[in-house]
Amino acid sequence: MHVPTILLLSLIVLSAVLIGVLVARPSVTATRGGKILAFLVLFLLPSLCMTMGVSSELERSKSTEFCLSCHTMASHGRSLYVDDPAYLAAAHFQNHRVPADQACYTCHTNYAMFGGFRAKFNGLHHVYVQYFGKPRDPIRVYDPYNNRECLHCHLGARSFEEGAVHTADPDLLPAVKANKMSCLSSGCHDVVHNADQLSNVKFWKGAK
Amino acid sequence: MKAAIGGLEKRLRLAGMLLIIGLLVEAICLLWARPLAFILLVCAGGLLCAAGIVVFLYSLVSAGEETPKR
Repeated sequence: MHVPTILLLSLIVLSAVLIGVLVARPSVTATRGGKILAFLVLFLLPSLCMTMGVSSELERSKSTEFCLSCHTMASHGRSLYVDDPAYLAAAHFQNHRVPADQACYTCHTNYAMFGGFRAKFNGLHHVYVQYFGKPRDPIRVYDPYNNRECLHCHLGARSFEEGAVHTADPDLLPAVKANKMSCLSSGCHDVVHNADQLSNVKFWKGAK
Repeated sequence: MKAAIGGLEKRLRLAGMLLIIGLLVEAICLLWARPLAFILLVCAGGLLCAAGIVVFLYSLVSAGEETPKR
């Protein structure tokens, strides 16, 4: 368990104990000190605990472990361990081109205004579908994947800007940067998760 | 006056109980790292804590009203 979670749990326990004291002896609020204590434990501490709790859960919702805890995402999780550099998601995950503990969020958030909020809103929809609906089969992203998400990291990188294939055609990079030619679906990096074709692939031995 | 204090104590108790349950829900959700825990934290824990705080604030307001003027 992470240290902030332990601290937050300690604060919750402390708040609950202090509230318990007030519930058992509400007459203590008759004094000035009791009134201050009541304001502290019935208003300030619970507000602080809830704010920190929601913030902690929002942070946790970015983790790879969180995303892959849904059964539906299991095959996508396995695809991260494919032993083939052509698999884009696996190559990024295994070589830490994205933080391994936030692999899903890093590529599937939207690097525009309110992108993080939108990703979390979509996440709420995923939770709803997981428990109360029927997930799509196969799973698809909501919108065509925008090059902006790739360029967030790759733009300006030497391997991207000066790569032999990228510079072979002078029109290629401007088209990619303008999102007129997709990095994924134009035939260049089109093997991403391919989660429905994992039965015949080799998996990386370093996988935990 | 005694009745007013009794009413205030009752509301403080109710607020405290709601907050304790809300905080317990929050603690369980923090330990249970599943997507449903997030929904439970916001919907159940948040609602209970908010209700507890509202009852507490209402008890403050109503205590002022119920106390007879000298």
